[in-house]
Amino acid sequence: MKKRIILSLLIASSLFADAEIDAIKEQLQQQKEATLVMSTKLSSLEQKNTNQSASFSQNAYLPDMALILNMSAVSRDVENSEYEKAAMPGFIDEGEMNFPFNKNRGFNLNYAEVAMHSVVDPYFEAFANFHLHPNEFEIGEAYVQTTSLPYSLRVKAGKFKSSFGRINKKHQHSWNFDSQPLIYKTLFGPDSISDAGVQLQWIAPTDTYIMFGIEAMQGTNGRSFGDDSKNNLYIAYLKSSIDIGDDLSVLGGLSYAHGKNTDRKPTDIYGVDLTLREQLGSYSSLIWQSEFLQRNKELTSQRDRQAGLYSELVYQYNNNYSFGARYDCITKNETDLSAYSGVDTDNLERYTAKIDYKPFPMSRLRLSYTYDRSKVIGGERKDINEVMLSLNIAAGAHGAHDY
Amino acid sequence: MKKILLLLLAFTTIVSAALRVETTYSTLGAITEEIGGDLVNVHVLGSSKYDPHFIVPKPSLLAKLRRADLLIMNGGGLELGWLPPLIRGANNANIQNGAKGFLDISHYIPMIDVPTSVSRGFGDVHAQGNPHYSTDPYMVPIIARAIMAKLLELDPDHEQRYHSNLEKFSYRWQKYLEKLDAKMKQCKDKKVVQYHELFNYFLKRYNYKSYGNIEPLPGIAPSSKHTIALINSIKKNKIKLILQDVYHEKRTAKFIASKTGAKVIVIPHDMGADGSKNLEEYYSNIAKKLCR
Ligand SMILES: [Zn+2]
Repeated sequence: MKKRIILSLLIASSLFADAEIDAIKEQLQQQKEATLVMSTKLSSLEQKNTNQSASFSQNAYLPDMALILNMSAVSRDVENSEYEKAAMPGFIDEGEMNFPFNKNRGFNLNYAEVAMHSVVDPYFEAFANFHLHPNEFEIGEAYVQTTSLPYSLRVKAGKFKSSFGRINKKHQHSWNFDSQPLIYKTLFGPDSISDAGVQLQWIAPTDTYIMFGIEAMQGTNGRSFGDDSKNNLYIAYLKSSIDIGDDLSVLGGLSYAHGKNTDRKPTDIYGVDLTLREQLGSYSSLIWQSEFLQRNKELTSQRDRQAGLYSELVYQYNNNYSFGARYDCITKNETDLSAYSGVDTDNLERYTAKIDYKPFPMSRLRLSYTYDRSKVIGGERKDINEVMLSLNIAAGAHGAHDY
Repeated sequence: MKKILLLLLAFTTIVSAALRVETTYSTLGAITEEIGGDLVNVHVLGSSKYDPHFIVPKPSLLAKLRRADLLIMNGGGLELGWLPPLIRGANNANIQNGAKGFLDISHYIPMIDVPTSVSRGFGDVHAQGNPHYSTDPYMVPIIARAIMAKLLELDPDHEQRYHSNLEKFSYRWQKYLEKLDAKMKQCKDKKVVQYHELFNYFLKRYNYKSYGNIEPLPGIAPSSKHTIALINSIKKNKIKLILQDVYHEKRTAKFIASKTGAKVIVIPHDMGADGSKNLEEYYSNIAKKLCR
């Protein structure tokens, strides 16, 4: 009996204790809520007081800015002094080759590029990139472009890279290979077609992508044009793309440039390009890209007919690795080759293979091997072997690249 | 003959009357279709089988954007790597940033995981907060309302129909959420790890806790050091679920599973990524896989 009483007492007391605890809990909860209300009130007040934005700050309107650094370590079986003298028969004579990138055995700092983009107003956006070479400052591009014209028209004006062909308008650091395709280098030099001028592009209102563009440029490029007594270069192109299924896309283009050369006679250049891209996954793809260019150049003493192509295959394995191979060559070289008598001027060609490693989307290490059979050095064909490791960094607000 | 011509004319005006809407992802596209009905013609730019951060900006997408009346994007930086060149290249004044036909849904979303400091030294972080909000079914009505407001602005003649579509959809979604919540109440195991912070909004909604990511930093491939640390954390915290998305490599997740006994479950990050055909199926599939 005693036991029972004690037990029931115990239970009762524990029940009582539970009720007491609940009450305390509730009190605590109420307190908590009160402090919460207080603290949110306080913090909202705090926010009001801390929003002391600078009265004349324009930080929000600063342009997007990026810094691109490109450098390399090169090993080559030709002395630097010899390499400088390299010629490409029919295109570039001894001493006339321009080597802005990767010229020296050993280390090269190719450039620091500052790229800027800004929306000017509801109708224009502006782009500029400045190339800083070790001994030289260059305005790579600086142009404005419309954003709001009707009928799918867009006008660009300033100094810009022409949209001729596939690779012309792309910057060196976004090429699949570090070296410029031979046919581009021989016809236009390292900057490709880049000039002051205006551009008009139009996209057709069709399900299939069809883009037509025309450009008027100064034509300062002396390799193919160069008569800049007035604006003498006109360019037109047509580009179209279709998707085959979800993963395969085909992009093709036809380009035409008409200008006047240093002999004040016409130069016509025709281009055909084709890019196939098969997407194998989010980070994996197979790209086959080829271009063919032909130049007809009238000179006072002769008519040159020259052509060449490149074809490259790039396998993007994953986020980090990509592998590529390229073949490029001169296919036609009807010009005055008398300065090269006794030298084999046929089969000017080059083979390149590369591996890219990107530890992070903004940085890229690239190891490439080039077997170059396109150069004449000191009056003799000289095949050049080159191994290069290059590093490219894009820091800051660097916009996504075009397709 | 005249009749046929008139009919043809009427037909073409009907066809052209529908607003051409491009959305960046499938979930946004499906919600737009719910609100717009046959007043809109919706096309999705980014296939849900791919990483939403890295959609390939194919030129064929330019042709789509060129004719769009409205572009609806997720925002929060998710499209930063692929959409700007497409908008620039489409030569369409309607859909420029700030134009009437441009809608950034993230402006309507209470974003979570907003970093206090941002540096690429921490990886490719989302500077504006976690943009993967569409994994949370509670965001759907917010998205729907934002889309309706935009459609009203572009096409005020059909105000009534957009309103009634939204009303019907909201009611249906309310009922669906009740069912989904009831199901999610039964889940016991609420500890997970994930590949990228894709599912934080869903996890937060249903009181799950994410103990880490397979990627050591956002956008950076797994490293062995980080993987070992994650394995230890999984063992220590007795975590049984590894959330894998459809597009990343699955080797690392499988390896971690083999070392810890945790289970790899593939969760769709967007409608259609797992073959789901509508919004309910999409969110139910997430719930079905996650809830145990
Ligand atoms: Zn993300």
